Amino acid sequence: MFNQGGLSLEQAPPISVVLRFFVTASIFGVLLGLFLVADSLDLTASINNKQVIITHVLALGVMASFMLGALFQMLPVIAGVVIKMPTKKAIIVHLLFVVGLLIQLYAFADTSTSLLYFLASAYLGIGLLYALYPMLKELIKIKDHSSSSKGMIFALGSFVLVIFLGIYLLLMLGGYVDGTLFIQVKELHYSFALFGWLSLLIVSVSFQVIEMFYITPKYPIWMSKYLTLKIFVLLLVKSIAIFMGFETELITAFLALLFMTYAGITIHRLYYRKRPTSDATVWFWRLGMGLLILSMFITLVDTIIDINFEIKMLSYLTFIGFALSIVFAMTYKIVPFLTWFHLSNQGYMEAPMMHDIIHPKKAKIQFYIHVAMLTVLAISLFFNYFILNLLSAILVLVSFGWLLYHLIYAMKKYHYTQKHTKKFEW
Amino acid sequence: MNKIFLDAREMEHPEPLQISLSHLQSMSKEQYLYMINVRKPIPLLEIAKEKGFIYFTYQDSREIWHILISKNSEIVLEELLDV
Repeated sequence: MFNQGGLSLEQAPPISVVLRFFVTASIFGVLLGLFLVADSLDLTASINNKQVIITHVLALGVMASFMLGALFQMLPVIAGVVIKMPTKKAIIVHLLFVVGLLIQLYAFADTSTSLLYFLASAYLGIGLLYALYPMLKELIKIKDHSSSSKGMIFALGSFVLVIFLGIYLLLMLGGYVDGTLFIQVKELHYSFALFGWLSLLIVSVSFQVIEMFYITPKYPIWMSKYLTLKIFVLLLVKSIAIFMGFETELITAFLALLFMTYAGITIHRLYYRKRPTSDATVWFWRLGMGLLILSMFITLVDTIIDINFEIKMLSYLTFIGFALSIVFAMTYKIVPFLTWFHLSNQGYMEAPMMHDIIHPKKAKIQFYIHVAMLTVLAISLFFNYFILNLLSAILVLVSFGWLLYHLIYAMKKYHYTQKHTKKFEW
Repeated sequence: MNKIFLDAREMEHPEPLQISLSHLQSMSKEQYLYMINVRKPIPLLEIAKEKGFIYFTYQDSREIWHILISKNSEIVLEELLDV
């Protein structure tokens, strides 16, 4: 889709492959908002493991769904990786993933049925590995790697580790394996999920899209060439240290510094872009990078001095804000483009232009909702008032509802154009 | 031959593709698209090829890409290069 440096658009999958995952992500976001509203109204008292449920709805339901959709779309065009039968694969992965996640959430809430943990690990494990195996296999085969394709190997490699560690944790919770390594595995599970899979994927993709989307100066070579490798190696070293019982503060501090440097350089690059005006997607990137710096700064401080619980939670919140900001930036860039491109390439004369599919003003509104949501969530960390909790939950609901509405609108526009307009003869 | 000139060097993705495709759709055999860009626009070239256009690309010493596309297969685009 994006690469204009030697790779192909023709290998891009049908638009349904991408939208299937994006719509799913938005639906899970809406469900998360509803859950938070119910929680703030004290209607979830009987549910166990609420924090774990919220974390997994966000990490898997929202983030993994978005990223699976983006991977199906971007791997062929950014890295030249051909995924055979993408529609069939996407349907199978989607089905196994959604069923697995729902079972997992129910298992967390119920906790009494061992079989649910086993089923969740089977569905999620098979579904995700079925998607990742061909992607990784083809990525590794590439002879002439770009910074993005190399980084994606580390990101997807991290994701595979996260999945295996997650399977182990689920089987342990179900009583199928003993739990002597629970604490170590849990720490590695979220370290690789946050710093490895999620962050490395964003970093890798940014090396390609920041320069191309926003006509910015290039990233310095030392960064684009080595950053993802350094982060991955640090994560592996951290894993060894955790299992050997060593302190990992120094490694975490290095990781935080690397991410802060990356985010600072990205903001700097965006500042020197050639266009004077900025659309919402640029603001999402700026906000995301700013939040990453804040999150990593708190993480860094935490390795030196003890910080209180609220500040630690602020670090997690800003990290979620970072990841969601980039997801929104990419979605509002990808969806209008793909809708227009597929229709235009199919020869529909009256293919709607990108701003007719999702108007830039709608993306700007998403940005304001997003900022309001993060602000109220941050305030509610420090002032535990009913009204703040309710308002933040409503804003989560509105934010994902707004996105879902525009994704459905884009799909409708796509099908309407196919049905009701004439094809262009070249 | 009439030249349709497009300087896409400072255009953000996917403007160059969007504008050049609309030029290709309305282009006559007496016209050709002359685009300059910082990248080689592979997607555009693939579409042009698939739709029966001919093209010529050249990267100059400043690393700027010159892309020439025409519907008329009888002309030699290389001769229209302006560097």
